[in-house]
Amino acid sequence: MISLDKLAILTDGAKFDVSCSSSGSKRKNAGGMGNGFAAGCCHSFTPDGRCVSLLKILMSNDCIYDCKYCLNRVSLDKPRATATVDELCGLVLDFYKRNYIEGLFLSSAVHISPDHTMEQLVRVVKKLRTECNFHGYIHVKGIPKADEALAREAARYADRMSYNIELPTERSLKLLAPQKSKESLLAPMASLQRDREIFAAEKRKGYFLPAGQTTQMIIGASPERDGQILRLSQSLYRRRSLKRVYYSSYMPVVHDSLLPDLPAGALREHRLYQADWLLRFYGFSVEELLEEGENLSAEFDPKCAWALKNMHLFPVEVNRAPLEMLLRVPGIGGRSAQKIVEARRYCALNFEHLKKMRVVLKRARHFITANGKFFGTENQTALRGFLTDGEQDRAEQLSLFSAPQIAQSALTGEL
Amino acid sequence: MIYFYDGGKQGFLTALALSFCDEQAVLASETQQLALGQQTVFVASDAKRAAAVERRLLSFDQHCMLDLDTLLRSGDDDKDAVAFAYFRLLAHRKHPVRDMLSEPAALAAAECMRRVGTELHRLRGFIRFMESASGALYAPCSPDHDIVELLLPHFRARLPHYPFVLHDVGRKKAAVYDGAHAFTAPLAQAEILLSADEQAWQALWQKYYQSVNIPERERLKQMRGYLPVRYRKFMNEFYGGAPLQ
Repeated sequence: MISLDKLAILTDGAKFDVSCSSSGSKRKNAGGMGNGFAAGCCHSFTPDGRCVSLLKILMSNDCIYDCKYCLNRVSLDKPRATATVDELCGLVLDFYKRNYIEGLFLSSAVHISPDHTMEQLVRVVKKLRTECNFHGYIHVKGIPKADEALAREAARYADRMSYNIELPTERSLKLLAPQKSKESLLAPMASLQRDREIFAAEKRKGYFLPAGQTTQMIIGASPERDGQILRLSQSLYRRRSLKRVYYSSYMPVVHDSLLPDLPAGALREHRLYQADWLLRFYGFSVEELLEEGENLSAEFDPKCAWALKNMHLFPVEVNRAPLEMLLRVPGIGGRSAQKIVEARRYCALNFEHLKKMRVVLKRARHFITANGKFFGTENQTALRGFLTDGEQDRAEQLSLFSAPQIAQSALTGEL
Repeated sequence: MIYFYDGGKQGFLTALALSFCDEQAVLASETQQLALGQQTVFVASDAKRAAAVERRLLSFDQHCMLDLDTLLRSGDDDKDAVAFAYFRLLAHRKHPVRDMLSEPAALAAAECMRRVGTELHRLRGFIRFMESASGALYAPCSPDHDIVELLLPHFRARLPHYPFVLHDVGRKKAAVYDGAHAFTAPLAQAEILLSADEQAWQALWQKYYQSVNIPERERLKQMRGYLPVRYRKFMNEFYGGAPLQ
């Protein structure tokens, strides 16, 4: 059994990895323990509001690289630990049996060499699948610059793999993570995508990354704008068929003269996720949302900001508008749009119906008519005021010791 | 008139048949405050009649019995009235009414079923098994809705070699899987002799839970929304509803 201290060290090193989803795999139980649950399952929630679905752990935090932003970089003086294959397998099986976790998220610092590290990761997943007969969810982090064959071997046993891009441009990578390059991150992604397509085309038995690939970027550690970041995400979704791009707002956990002293803030991360959702589920393209050199609006969510720029398209009549247009109405999400499309087959919907169907009308009423009636405002200034209601609630009396980002916005006159 | 029935599927379908022409009919499975002069009927389950009603309803909507099962499992006070209105609507319209969300009866039933489904999904994750000395797993829980039987297939599929008990402490019943058969049984109390390693695994899980949190990003309101306090009673990473420090 792994020791408490080792578990704490290896978990602490992995906690800034954002990905924790366990969806997308329908792996069947073939006589051992576990199976995949395609919708994903959250087993707990921590006080930071994040879900605990997978056992998120490092194989080792003893790194040979010196990436400036990283908690595990070689130049930091901190406790180091490396888990054995048996320790990790035992932990996964006993946690899974007690329904603490949905599976394993296995990552590692680059220990000894990229090939050695990847080999150790492969040994864990291979043992879990073959010797322990474990069929639960496994997400393995790819180690950049490791041999392609090792990555392919891991993909045979894992449900999902991910290579973290970390920084959106080659320039930032050179500055903050000099031992990594864009090529070392994108090439294995492309290779795995090719292998996955071949596997599907040949209808082979078994599984090859059934839940696909993901990646992660740190936001705010380097000067890239949201427009650049989202263009990269869109290209990864379209060209590399990635399932998700995760964004992690930068927090100054280690200090370096090349890194900003202030955190990037949760709002920027939130806006990026909102825009990311619009790209994946709402039929938007990044060119519609913002220019390459722009940041997303802090004041309005990306869909509201788009709607305000395109008021000539609104209001739309909910009883006639196509699903694609309903999805573009601020405040109407995928589920509400589906409900409207189903319900309007039986009768003409009015605002009372929409309210009872729990369609949130706070923002949507300014952009729709229901059975010919319009309950919003046509005054652009008033409309902007209504749409930023929630933002105004966050205004607060400052003290001398308020958090730096709030104090700064007071100085610039933003508050 | 109030039609009291036993709370089961057969009783419901019998009561539905008896009350179909009564415009003022109210269906209830538990004691209810009566209005002055209000009449009551106690409906005895009639298997033959219930089967006939079921056949007829299935001819209108082939999935409606799944809806009925879900509605009757609800812990909401008005579940009988909601289910009754929904099935009356189905019987009148003679086609599936599930998506007619502009109809109050269909909307109320959809909301009720959504609540049951949401809790079912949550508990698939929030259940915590303890290992007994014999190797069997035991998980106490206290769900709002009567769903332990619905949880059973999920755990049976992923732990086919482990006998387990899902104990609904509030309803004093248990869903049991003995390694070969699954069944439900009344169970008021259970005393478990834990395996030698159980405390150590629980301590590891608690340590993991503390370590994976990022204290600088505290979002307790968001956490409460996703994991309401009432579910934390049986989760060993919490003590009295608060995360372990």
